[in-house]
Amino acid sequence: MQRSMVLLVIGLAGITLSRARAADESLHTAIDRLIDAKAGDTPKAPAADDAEFLRRVMLDLAGRIPTSAETTRFLDDKASNKRDVLIDSLLAGEDYPRRMQELFHAMLMERRGEHAEWTKFLRHAFANNLPWDQVARAMLAPDSGDENLRGAAYFLTARLTKEGAMAAVDVPGLTRDVGRLLAGVDLGCAQCHDHVSIDDYKQVDFQGLHMIFENMQSRRGGDFPAVTERVMQKDKEFQSVFTMDPRTTGLRIPGAGDVPIRTFPKGEEYSVAPDRKAKTPGVLKFSPLKELARGLAAKGNPLFARNIVNRLWFVMMGRGLVEPLDLFHSANPPTHPELLERLATEFVAHEFDIKWLLGQLARTGCYQRSSRLPGKGPLPDAKTYAVANQKRLSAEQFFWSTMIATGEIARLKQKPGVGLEQLVSETKSLAALQKQFLKTFSNPPREPEVDFAPTVKGALYLMHDEKVLELLKPRSGNLIERLATDADAKKTAEALFLAVVSRRPSDSDHEAVGRFLEKKDGAARAEAIGQLAWALLTSTEFCVNH
Amino acid sequence: MSHCRSWEHGWSRRRMLGALATGAGGIGGIGAAGASGLGGLLQPAVAEELARNDKQILLIWLDGGMSQLESWDPKPNTPFGGPFRSIPTTLPGIHVSELMPKLARQMKRLAVVRSMKTEDANHSSGVPKIMRGHPRNRGVTYPFFGSAVAKLLGPTASGLPPYVWVKPGNGGFISKHAGFLGARYGALALGDGKPPANLVRPDSISSEADRVRQELRKQFNRQFANRRRGAFNEANSYVYDVAQTLMKHVELFDEKQVKETDRQRYGTHDLGRHTLLARRLIEAGVRFVQVTSYGWDTHGDNFNSHASRMPKVDQSLSALIEDLFDRGLDERVLVVVMAEFGRTPRINGSVGRDHWPNAWSVAMTGCGIRTGTVVGETLADGTDVKSTPYDIGHLFHTWFSAVGLDSAKAQYTNGTQPLPIAHDDMHKIDELLS
Repeated sequence: MQRSMVLLVIGLAGITLSRARAADESLHTAIDRLIDAKAGDTPKAPAADDAEFLRRVMLDLAGRIPTSAETTRFLDDKASNKRDVLIDSLLAGEDYPRRMQELFHAMLMERRGEHAEWTKFLRHAFANNLPWDQVARAMLAPDSGDENLRGAAYFLTARLTKEGAMAAVDVPGLTRDVGRLLAGVDLGCAQCHDHVSIDDYKQVDFQGLHMIFENMQSRRGGDFPAVTERVMQKDKEFQSVFTMDPRTTGLRIPGAGDVPIRTFPKGEEYSVAPDRKAKTPGVLKFSPLKELARGLAAKGNPLFARNIVNRLWFVMMGRGLVEPLDLFHSANPPTHPELLERLATEFVAHEFDIKWLLGQLARTGCYQRSSRLPGKGPLPDAKTYAVANQKRLSAEQFFWSTMIATGEIARLKQKPGVGLEQLVSETKSLAALQKQFLKTFSNPPREPEVDFAPTVKGALYLMHDEKVLELLKPRSGNLIERLATDADAKKTAEALFLAVVSRRPSDSDHEAVGRFLEKKDGAARAEAIGQLAWALLTSTEFCVNH
Repeated sequence: MSHCRSWEHGWSRRRMLGALATGAGGIGGIGAAGASGLGGLLQPAVAEELARNDKQILLIWLDGGMSQLESWDPKPNTPFGGPFRSIPTTLPGIHVSELMPKLARQMKRLAVVRSMKTEDANHSSGVPKIMRGHPRNRGVTYPFFGSAVAKLLGPTASGLPPYVWVKPGNGGFISKHAGFLGARYGALALGDGKPPANLVRPDSISSEADRVRQELRKQFNRQFANRRRGAFNEANSYVYDVAQTLMKHVELFDEKQVKETDRQRYGTHDLGRHTLLARRLIEAGVRFVQVTSYGWDTHGDNFNSHASRMPKVDQSLSALIEDLFDRGLDERVLVVVMAEFGRTPRINGSVGRDHWPNAWSVAMTGCGIRTGTVVGETLADGTDVKSTPYDIGHLFHTWFSAVGLDSAKAQYTNGTQPLPIAHDDMHKIDELLS
């Protein structure tokens, strides 16, 4: 018997016992205890100040920077529990489902495209805080009968489209993505042979998963994405290109092991027979996709829970406990094994509640540390979390934040009841701008957006695009117009910094702005303020979540 | 096909952030994104030597597969020879197709390998195999030639992006060429030779206003970076630096700057315009320029196709060679002309030639390549290589050697996995090097 992922899973099971011991301790306290224990006497950054924390947590949970009004309100709030109150209100707020939809769209689709039904599914899932296992099952075994969930099929169907006239449909790519994105194991290199450098990844793991997708196809036509399956008759035959040793396998589900194929006499394969006239696919007695959904998105599947908690940890903390995020294997252990296990088991115990987990992560001292370390000496390694890690802004976060920073939203005089999204989608010029931002600041299709990847294209866009520059010209109600009317450099600096970088200016900021605006008035002053705003907007402080 | 792609074999690129400071400049996704630290490949002394390296490369890629029989290795009056005659060249005893009279006069300045024997007869897998130098399979995706050079030599002192690709159609940043090296070593593609979008500063901003706002940006960035980890700020600052460097060379994209005589010499067709732009990019200091000409897959009507296509190669390539030699650039610019394979000697039912990796030709010059050389020969009917066959790996060793890299020693490092920069069973072709 080869060593493989099944063994990896068994090896992990033992750690769950430690959970009982710490049951009384809240998760966020446990996180800090485990992180601090590992960091030892690594010099640690102080807690982030209110402005730093507010911006960070709003970007993470609301997908945008705060408005000036939100910032001043939070800074001036004297309540000692205001951070906890803020976290709760963000998780309950109207931005949250949009942010999660954008986050999971980028994570799961890797910029392959958009589909209104998919968007609707994600929005529904996060507006209702559906448990992650349910979300994953909806993607793996799509239910055409559920109007809210059927769009989940796009996860499969978008990967079954041709990428070019000459390219074949990339079914192995789908197999690989299911492993990568839902179980944290990238079996791609084990398609034709056992993985050459990762002992845990066997060709049989790939082939046993792959046969499920080989047995499936996209439904043609229809208003919403859907898949159909054929009757699965027999084990998959394959051989290694190295050894040429012929082998067979039934279904193999990452983290769950083998599922024997159940066959039925001809004519009895369906519990509900397919109907060609009515174009209904029927219901198979043995559906490989349902077996996959059941086996993978299950409480007992450690890879499934570990993958998602590691990804959410990455979203919040700027680094995965296991990195790369899709390379879980025994020779690539987590930086904090006990912590990962604790996150996974508690997440499962909380019925795969993403909102709960994000709330716990946001409450940790580790999340709430400053990204700046006073004093001298080298900055500690990212995996110590002793200093907050900087994080990439998604194209979406960048767009919404730019809209808020430049006062574009304020200029359009947001009506009560009309949200940010609706305002933009109903304003033609902004909808076009949004599209351009997404195009400019997203990765190319199929490249995971994990690392900070600024581009020359993006720089040139912010430098020269007329529509971007227009945001920084005085227009009734926007930031520049508002600031240009005030002759007081101190007030201007304060309003400018609050609006763009979500903090009050430091003394040296005041000095710099004062010097720059000296003896400038009228149009020259408006232009100068536009230049200051541009410089802040393109600064690293604005372009990253720190 | 295996699905091994760049970002999967690696280590976390993020983990390598610290190495950014030493990284040679790429363009596009960089810093955290690029596997910047992954290829920490050279000892400091070697690295220092490379910093003074002024070698450049210009690759002309004839996509689809130019026929060796209608170009470098004609076989007139044989069953497979086709209708064209061969003509003598400035090299005694060496003939080329009559479709390239200008290049025939330049043969003393060229080296041709007529004994290419490679493995793959498919476009989709053959192109990347040749472009990567087809190294031994180690389960990683190797970089294309341009990305490899961008990594190994970095940008020149000009600060211009090290790998620029002039091609018909769309431009953009093509990161997939970089393989495991990471996105930043991809190609800046200039679609139809046009500049990247937004390269030109709009009239609404004066150069002074631009200078002022960039200065403010840098000032804010310095403050931000103080006592924070520097990699993000370095990456974000770097793309602005490259953007501004490109802007300084905006004249490269101004066709009005091109002399009419040059335009006529290179030709007003795509290949001519793009080759001329490539010369100017090389002169401006781009480390590696690739020019692609599409449509060489002549399964049908091979002879008329080559009759119309070869003169364009003849014209633009001979003009390029003239210019490089006149300006002394041949001493440090390596020019390579190749495709993913040649074409079958057998003429098919559609008067076409099909894919033929078994016996084909590659031409090159400059940068220490021994000019006036023809290496190897094919059988009288052109069906196979008669002399020692050479694979693309041999050429990669040769070219790396020409630009001052010891490919027998230099290695990439992918995490902890050392990777030779060219096929470890192959070696440079000494006959090609002076």
